[in-house]
Amino acid sequence: MQLFRVSRSIYGGSDIIIGANYDLLVWFVAAGAVAIVAHALYKAFTKNHTGH
Amino acid sequence: MADLQTNTTSLPAGRIQRHRLADRLYHWVMAAAVLILLGSSLLPILGWKFAWLDLHWITGLVLTVAVLFHIARALGWQNFWAMMIDGQDLRDVMGGPKAKSGKYTLAQKLYHLAVSVLILAGIGTGLVMLRKIDTPFWNRDPYWFSDQGWGAIYAIHGFAAMALVTMILIHVYFALRPDEWRLTRSMFRGWITSKEYRDHHDPKRWQAKEEAAQEEA
Repeated sequence: MQLFRVSRSIYGGSDIIIGANYDLLVWFVAAGAVAIVAHALYKAFTKNHTGH
Repeated sequence: MADLQTNTTSLPAGRIQRHRLADRLYHWVMAAAVLILLGSSLLPILGWKFAWLDLHWITGLVLTVAVLFHIARALGWQNFWAMMIDGQDLRDVMGGPKAKSGKYTLAQKLYHLAVSVLILAGIGTGLVMLRKIDTPFWNRDPYWFSDQGWGAIYAIHGFAAMALVTMILIHVYFALRPDEWRLTRSMFRGWITSKEYRDHHDPKRWQAKEEAAQEEA
């Protein structure tokens, strides 16, 4: 998956970055979900082992 | 500890001022602005087509003013250093979860730092991007930068927006956790209880009474 959206130069030059690739949005959402689940599991685990 | 029962602000006994009204208003204005900005930029990409541009740039200006207000508050009225990472924060990491924090924990400071970078990146690039649209105040001038320059600006703006989605998800999760509810309540009502203050904060690191008096002065 590409990081950037690119446009080919009309003059035949190399590709030009025109912005971020918004297909990556799902990965940013997934990163948030992973952080949340990891923290929730950590808290549940430590709660069970500390008796709090 | 008895003096904590009589805060210098107009709060009832047993309550400690954590966020003043101006700062709570800033937080909620910023939250609304960021959600509108993300919605007006990402929803069209996801297929929900509507006239988003005017809503987006005007909300961006609102966020810019709000952030400038917050920076002024932090520098002139709040305890600026309360949000800065210090050596004690790093020692607390080694002290385990029972170590009491100052007004903000290391995690909160890191979160604030990350969001600050993302918001400022979004604002900075967004203000520059205003040159590419017609507004009642100016006509567009797309030749300020080369194509590569504009591409870099748009890329930074886009990545900041997507990273903010991650940060907002995490923020809402912590705001809804029962063990963090005191902090969420304080962002609505401004206070935590004296017991919460004693249980979670080191009074040497967050001198709430003195801070409230300083802010009132």
